[in-house]
Amino acid sequence: MLNVKDLQLHLDGAVILDKLSFRLESGKTLCVIGESGSGKTSLLRSLQGLAPARFEELCFEPRSGSPVRYRAGWKGRPGLPGSRWVMQDPIAALSPRQKLGVSIAESLHGRNIARQDMNKAVVDALQDVDLPAHFASRRPSEVSMGQAQRACLARALIARPDLIFFDEPLSALDAIVQKQVALTMSRIQRRYGISYVIVTHDLGFAAAYADWVLVLRRGRVEASQAASNFFNAPDSAYCKELIEAAEALGELDTRTSADVGRAEATA
Amino acid sequence: MSIAAENLAGDQPDLRSKGHVADVSRFVRNLAAGLLVLGIVVTGGFLFTPYDPITPDFLDRLAGPSAEHWFGTDQLGRDVATRILYGGLWSIGLALLITTFGALVGVIVGLAAGHFGRLADMSLMRVTDSFFAFPELIAAVTIAGVLGPSTTNMVLALILVSWMKFARLVRSLAISLAHRDFVVQARLNGLPSWLILWRHILPNIGPSLLVLWTNAWSRSILSISGLSFLGFGVQPPHAEWGAMLLDGKSYMQTAPHVMIFPGLAILLAVLSINLIGDRLRDLIAGPNGLFSD
Repeated sequence: MLNVKDLQLHLDGAVILDKLSFRLESGKTLCVIGESGSGKTSLLRSLQGLAPARFEELCFEPRSGSPVRYRAGWKGRPGLPGSRWVMQDPIAALSPRQKLGVSIAESLHGRNIARQDMNKAVVDALQDVDLPAHFASRRPSEVSMGQAQRACLARALIARPDLIFFDEPLSALDAIVQKQVALTMSRIQRRYGISYVIVTHDLGFAAAYADWVLVLRRGRVEASQAASNFFNAPDSAYCKELIEAAEALGELDTRTSADVGRAEATA
Repeated sequence: MSIAAENLAGDQPDLRSKGHVADVSRFVRNLAAGLLVLGIVVTGGFLFTPYDPITPDFLDRLAGPSAEHWFGTDQLGRDVATRILYGGLWSIGLALLITTFGALVGVIVGLAAGHFGRLADMSLMRVTDSFFAFPELIAAVTIAGVLGPSTTNMVLALILVSWMKFARLVRSLAISLAHRDFVVQARLNGLPSWLILWRHILPNIGPSLLVLWTNAWSRSILSISGLSFLGFGVQPPHAEWGAMLLDGKSYMQTAPHVMIFPGLAILLAVLSINLIGDRLRDLIAGPNGLFSD
């Protein structure tokens, strides 16, 4: 559904991303893993047309709507149609002077929707992310990080995208809230069959939620494997080291509890 | 709280904003009270003054302050207190007009420079720089001098020299806001440029603009009075604080009250507006302000 071939990004003569290829099937989760500076966020920016990346082909076929097929470079204005982007810092991603409901409704810009239907869609989206309806009239300064990230999730969700990009969606949150938001994300994915591309450096999270793992190192693909293979038999020495480091920190212990959570969410 | 507590235990909103809201509402209350007192004094003055600001009374020239003429009379026998009241309309009102138009021009130029690419930015900012190259009052004197001394020309001249500060501020804020996450989100959601400017950039520039605007307002009062004192601004027989200073100059030794009271009026007006501006700046940019992270 999403197919990226030979993506390269050069900025001011420096190679940020090099020869990057991957595919993502409908309804699946791809986790992009890598240390800081490895080009994870640059990859997301490239896929939205915010960075001047070159590629052999960028192909995105949403279930509904016309497919996007770019060759060589991005054409048209930024924003991959049929996709949404949830950012790392949820408070910064929401306009400080807008009520959450307005920010969420903005995601439907350009679609001809009557005000009433719009209000209902906002309330439904809030409900989907476990926020009460009155949060529509709150401002970002009046909600917590977790609530703000849920609002951002609602903003992405309300457009009924086929693909949501997440840029470290949980790293600004406390552990408990991380788990709650992760469960909400996974429930929404199941309910609406949305594909996820999740940038993260949390291997425990990737172990619990990824179908496919893409490891970046200095702008290159270090490994691209099905998640089950990756954690049992990583492709490279670097990946093995990554996994061992995560195990030493106890990060991968969360795999079991998250699996339980996942089962709960499915039920 | 029940739903929030159930779902989001341990994840509380930052309550800092509460104290800030109290600060703001106190400021608004004080400002409203101040304006009310000012309004009562001024309307009371207009209603009860038995004198005309323009008609001379040659029998009562240069009289010192008394029960009849609180601030004395000037060289044509006109009541100084009455003239200060009317002069306030000119000084403060014209300054408000000039500052608002200057801000409007500056906002348009600044937004265009900050939002429509390098070429627009370069050309508009070089124009702004060249306007900046001339000292404000001297440029205004030159323009007003060339166009001829009149109130309209003074207003035009002062607008021409006052918009650049707004343009610079708005441009720099617009550029920094353009890379903020919520503006990127709006772009990705397909909002057109004008809507992004209107909904996301302008409202977030507003507070800083307000601070600069009050600042420019008080400076504008000084400029108007300065130009009028030099004879380029409001023309006799109209009362304007700077023009009144000019009138009183020749009698400074014998009847100092003709200059002292208009001077005090300028001082108090500028000081008050500056104090309001300072407080606004504290509320907006201070440690608990709207823009502190």
